[in-house]
Amino acid sequence: MAKARALDKRRKSIRNIRKITRTMELIATARFKKAMDRASAATAYTNRITALVAELATAGLEVSHPLLVARNETKSAALLVLTGNRGLCGGYNSNVIRMALVRWKELQETVPSARLELSGKRGISAFKYRHIAAERTFTQFEDKVRFDEVDELAGGYLEDYITGRLDRLDVAYTKFDSIARQAAVVETLLPLGSLGGTDVTADTAKRVGPQYEFLPSAESILEEVVPTSFKVKLFKCFLDAAVSEQVARMVAMKAATENADKIIKHLTMTYNRARQSQITGEIMEVLGGVEALKG
Amino acid sequence: MADRFLSCIVVTPEATVRETPAQFVVLPLYDGEIGIAPGHSAMIGRLGYGEMRISQGGRTDRYYVDGGFVQVSGNIVSVLTNRAVPATQLNAQAAADQLEAARRRPAHSPELLAIRERQQLQARAQLRVAAKARS
Repeated sequence: MAKARALDKRRKSIRNIRKITRTMELIATARFKKAMDRASAATAYTNRITALVAELATAGLEVSHPLLVARNETKSAALLVLTGNRGLCGGYNSNVIRMALVRWKELQETVPSARLELSGKRGISAFKYRHIAAERTFTQFEDKVRFDEVDELAGGYLEDYITGRLDRLDVAYTKFDSIARQAAVVETLLPLGSLGGTDVTADTAKRVGPQYEFLPSAESILEEVVPTSFKVKLFKCFLDAAVSEQVARMVAMKAATENADKIIKHLTMTYNRARQSQITGEIMEVLGGVEALKG
Repeated sequence: MADRFLSCIVVTPEATVRETPAQFVVLPLYDGEIGIAPGHSAMIGRLGYGEMRISQGGRTDRYYVDGGFVQVSGNIVSVLTNRAVPATQLNAQAAADQLEAARRRPAHSPELLAIRERQQLQARAQLRVAAKARS
C-alpha cells in the first residue's frame, strides 16, 4: 500500500508544478505579444528615421558628425549588459552573460579605464558571484521599457561621449531576429559607425523624388538626426531584449510543461501497476486462507 | 478631396500617437513655428520644443512635442518626435522641477552649456504649453 500512495503523492505534486509552468507559459505568451507590438511600433519610427537619413544623403550632403567618427585612441569604454530580472527562461540570461564576460575581459586588456553597467537582477548577481564590480546597476527595465527611461540613459552616454569621458560604448543583449531565432550579441553603439541608409546606391541616387527643402538647414537636421538615431538604437536593444526574454520563457515553460506531462504519464502507469499487484497479492492471501480452512 | 486634406501621422519610438486627416497643422520648428496647409511643398524640418496644433473640422487638438523632425511630402505630414503629449495631460510640476534642476547644472564648458540650454528650453516649452492648455 505504501508504495502506491507514495507514487500518488508524487504525481499530485508534479501536477501542481505543471499548473504553474503552464500558467507561466500563458503569461509569457501574453507579454510577448505586447512586447512585440511595442517593438514593431519602434520599427515604424526607425524606418522613418532611416528614410530621412536617406533623403539627406540623396540631397548630396556629406554625412559627418562627431558621433560617427571613431576616436584614434580609446581611453575609456563602457559595457552595458541587458539581462532579465527573473530566471526560468532557459539559456536567455546565461547566454548574454557569457558573451558579456568575454567582451569584458577583452576591454580590460585593451582599454585603460573600462566600466561595467548592468541591467537586470540576473546579470547583477552573476557578476557579483564572479567578484566583478559594476559601476551602475538598473533593475527598473522590465518588459515594458519606456522611451523616457532609455532616453535619460542614452542622454547620459551622449553627454559622456561628447565631453570626452567615454570613447566607446558596447551593449550586450539578445537580438531578436524572429520568433524562432534570438541570439546573444555584443554591439558597439558608440561611435555609431554609420547611420542606416547612408550608403546611397546608384538606384536611389537616380531616383526622382521630391526636392526637399531643409529647414533650417540640412546640417542642422543632421546634428539632431545622429543623436536621435543613437537613442533609438539603444531603445531597440532594450525592446529586443524584452521580446527575447519573453520568447525564451515561453519556450522554456512549454518544454517544462511537456516534461511534466511525460512524468505524470509514467507515474500513472507505475501507480496503476503497483495498485494492481497489491490487489493481486490481497486476492492470493484470501485464496490462501480459504485453502487453509478447507484443509 | 485629396487636395483639401493633409494626412498627419505622429510617430514616437513607443507608438504611433496619431494618424488623422487634418486641414491645417502647426508645428514648432527649431527657429519658429510653421503652418502647413494642404499643397505644401516637400520639406524636412527640425522640430523644437513646443506646441503642435492639428486642426480638423473646426476642432484643434494641441500636443506638446519634444524635438524631432517633420517630413512633408505630397500632403503627408510625418512628425517624428521623442514624445507627443496632449497638452492637457502635461505635468507642469515635473517641468518646473526639470527647469530648476537644469538651472543648477554646472556649465563650465561649451558642451555642458549646450546641454543645460537644451534642458531649459525643453522645460520652459512644457510650462508654456501647459499654461496655455489650462487657460
